[in-house]
Amino acid sequence: MAAEKIANRQLLFMLFMMRTTVVVATLPVLTTGAAAQDAWASAMITLVATLVIVLVIGSLGVRFPDLTVVEYSQKLLGRFVGAAVSLGFLWLFLHIAATDVRIYAEVLDAGFLPQTPLAFMAATMVATSALAVYLGIETIGRAADALVGFFSLFVIMNLVVGLKSFDPRNLQPVLARGVRPVLSGAVTPTAIAAQFLSLSMLIPTTVAPRKAAASAALAVALSGLVLIVSAVVVVGVLGPNLGSNSIFPLLKVARSTVLTRFLERLEAPGMVAWGFGLFIDVSVFLYSGARGLSQLLGLEDYRVLVAPMAVIWVILAIHAYQDMFEVLRLFKPNVIFPYITLVVLIPYALLWGAYVIRALLGKPPRCAGRR
Amino acid sequence: MRWLRKLLSGKAKNEAAELANDRLDISQREAIERRLPLERSLEDNLDAIRTVVGPSKDLMIRQLKVGQGQIGTAVLHLEGLSDSSLVENIIRTLGLGTFQTPVGSASKRDIFDEFKQRLLQSSEGREVNTLDEVWDGLVNGNSAVIFDGTPKALICATQGFKTRAIEEPSAETVIRGPREGFIESISTNIALLRRRIKSPNLWVESFILGHLTRTDVAIAYIKGLASEELVQEVRQRVSRIQIDGIIESGDIENFIEDNPFAVSPLVFRTERVDRAVSMLLEGRVCIVTDGTPFVLVVPMSLPMLLQAPDDYYEKLPIGAFLRVLRHVAFTSSILLPGTYVAVLEFHQELLPTQLLLRITAAKEGVPFPVVSEVFMMELLFELLREAGIRLPRAIGPAVTIVGALVLGEAAIRAGLVSAPVVIIVALTAIASFTVPTFSFGIAARLTRFIFIILGGTFGLFGVQFGILVLVLLLASLRSFGYPFLSPMAPLVVRDLKDLYCRAWRWYMDTRPLLEGAREPVRQAKGQMPRPGIEKEETEKPGRGIGGKWRRRR
Repeated sequence: MAAEKIANRQLLFMLFMMRTTVVVATLPVLTTGAAAQDAWASAMITLVATLVIVLVIGSLGVRFPDLTVVEYSQKLLGRFVGAAVSLGFLWLFLHIAATDVRIYAEVLDAGFLPQTPLAFMAATMVATSALAVYLGIETIGRAADALVGFFSLFVIMNLVVGLKSFDPRNLQPVLARGVRPVLSGAVTPTAIAAQFLSLSMLIPTTVAPRKAAASAALAVALSGLVLIVSAVVVVGVLGPNLGSNSIFPLLKVARSTVLTRFLERLEAPGMVAWGFGLFIDVSVFLYSGARGLSQLLGLEDYRVLVAPMAVIWVILAIHAYQDMFEVLRLFKPNVIFPYITLVVLIPYALLWGAYVIRALLGKPPRCAGRR
Repeated sequence: MRWLRKLLSGKAKNEAAELANDRLDISQREAIERRLPLERSLEDNLDAIRTVVGPSKDLMIRQLKVGQGQIGTAVLHLEGLSDSSLVENIIRTLGLGTFQTPVGSASKRDIFDEFKQRLLQSSEGREVNTLDEVWDGLVNGNSAVIFDGTPKALICATQGFKTRAIEEPSAETVIRGPREGFIESISTNIALLRRRIKSPNLWVESFILGHLTRTDVAIAYIKGLASEELVQEVRQRVSRIQIDGIIESGDIENFIEDNPFAVSPLVFRTERVDRAVSMLLEGRVCIVTDGTPFVLVVPMSLPMLLQAPDDYYEKLPIGAFLRVLRHVAFTSSILLPGTYVAVLEFHQELLPTQLLLRITAAKEGVPFPVVSEVFMMELLFELLREAGIRLPRAIGPAVTIVGALVLGEAAIRAGLVSAPVVIIVALTAIASFTVPTFSFGIAARLTRFIFIILGGTFGLFGVQFGILVLVLLLASLRSFGYPFLSPMAPLVVRDLKDLYCRAWRWYMDTRPLLEGAREPVRQAKGQMPRPGIEKEETEKPGRGIGGKWRRRR
């Protein structure tokens, strides 16, 4: 089977949609939680911090243009530690995607289909993504190409309709409570940037792996821009208190807007954008998870793993959390920060450390693949 | 030596005689026919042919003696396939020859060569050695000349069969544009292509498919523009077909398409010469089949199905507007009924209150849920459409009118369906007819039923997943290895100029990235018409490809 390749542009679109989906879905509330009317400042800090994370992940990845993180972690840290670290990453793929699916199902359940069981919606989303993964990363890339236009259009629509009832006074007073809440507001969105771990699985499938980190950084910058704008819009429209109390603020913005007598309740585009983005998001995670696991187990093709993993995904999405508030509890800074530190930051510190030490000792690990 | 040859020929004669046996099945007959050589004796040859052909009356055998009455000769042709005046010509030439050939001074082989030379002066032809080849020549409208004492035959071109006149194709009409369409004869179709692409680099390769129909199939491409791998792939896929007969190009399409389970066509077909030509110019390959006006074009991508020739011939704003309209119509022909059902069944709150009230009022008293209403009306429409096509032309429109007006009106009056549903169904039907490729309109309509079910069971959520799966499946399709959704996915920004809305002809200076990769530049850049172009010309002479032509002015 010929190696499947995606263009760097497709990588950019995928990461952009993954990140922006989180923005559309939940991020503004997380930001406004602590920072209130200074959410935009938190968003800016998030942007910078996310860029750093992506560069940490990406720039190690481009040093091994033919290997995924599962492969080079074993080269750098030895078989055992490497495998342990990789398992942590794979767990994170599973966990983040399951959480995303759960949130999506909760929103649909609350707002649109109150009588449909959560499991059904989670299963549909995961099944669609499993189909995508089964068709291959090239197909996911092309689907991202086809969807990104509509996705961006809907997100922009969602933001623009909010401007009608935008009240700049909601943003005052600026930075009244000091820098601390702003910083703590930035922790959660930055921690969720652990989703960019999938970059380390996707780099070897890109046409120009050495430029992949740059593509990812561009994706982060674009989605960071969306984050800043949506933080401003949410606070400006809903006010800091309502903004931080509603669970899905951006959708609330759309719902509360009445453009004319005929055009009202415009949250449908937002929901569709979310659906499209989540589909790409879950597909990429499922692909990363299945591919990583198959490499860990030494399997030829990851496709045999897709169906069983999808089932586990759905079960986890349903049974990991009692209700929406438990999901939100995970996003509290004092929960998610240690979690991400354990699973992402420490392993990456180890990986980079091993790489630097080996480089200093003059025996940089050789890349085993082609080229 | 002579006895050996006699023995061999004796055996062959027995084989020909074997064909008289009625118990032989077609494959056995074909196996024998393929082996039959031409004999020395004229009578043996004619007997063999008569045995092969049986009582078929259209085989004309004209026997005469040439070489001052010494050598028996036969001229064979099939009535109706050959031009009788051309056959007369051959016979006349044979007659003239008799006076000049001295008797006995030359061997019979010399006589054959002499006649060959003579005959080929007046018409083109070739020499063949087996009975099978003789028959091949005959069915293509040629005449065969067989001489006594020579185990060879001359095939002379005398084609003259009737074909339909070149007309405007009824399925692909244009307001502005050429009215020529392909017809059922492959030679005419290739000539039509040649008349429009006069470069010798338009290459045509021939194949014969179907061991019973022996249909001529040709692949045409511009050498040096179409990718060699593509041409090789087409060649391979076409020559791989083993079948008893090709009746229409659809038979070939079935064998060569990439994914037999896809609803959407993966091979483009057209009756229009201008479309085939424009696709050849993009680096694609045409497959021309004898016996059908439909020419296949590969590779195909989705946007091609939504491009009508008028878009390019009309002025830009009109063409671009129509193109955008068509894209919207096509999308809504898939999604509109499903969305309507979803919104009315699950998400009434999304509708503005006034509109919702109107619709609910219209639905008052209708005993069915919206899904069954829409489903029923859609099925009814499909029924009418099919009936309209199958019925004789004279009553087709009548049925459509009866169905559409009377049934629809009566259904509303009877309170079986609500008026908005009829509006939706009619709107989708009209929208689906804007798709220039008929078969693709049908594919869209099939998809529509799935969306109605999805929308009726899971609401907009179901519709959205339908869209996702549809995009996914379309994105995974390929036509001859080229991605089906290109230039949407993979996104080719350069080719978007011809997707949703077309650019000016002078701006479209590049070929599609994937198909025309060998020669991406189509024309010189910067040909935007502007005043004072002559003056500028003297300053910058001969820039780019168009330079030579512009300087001549």
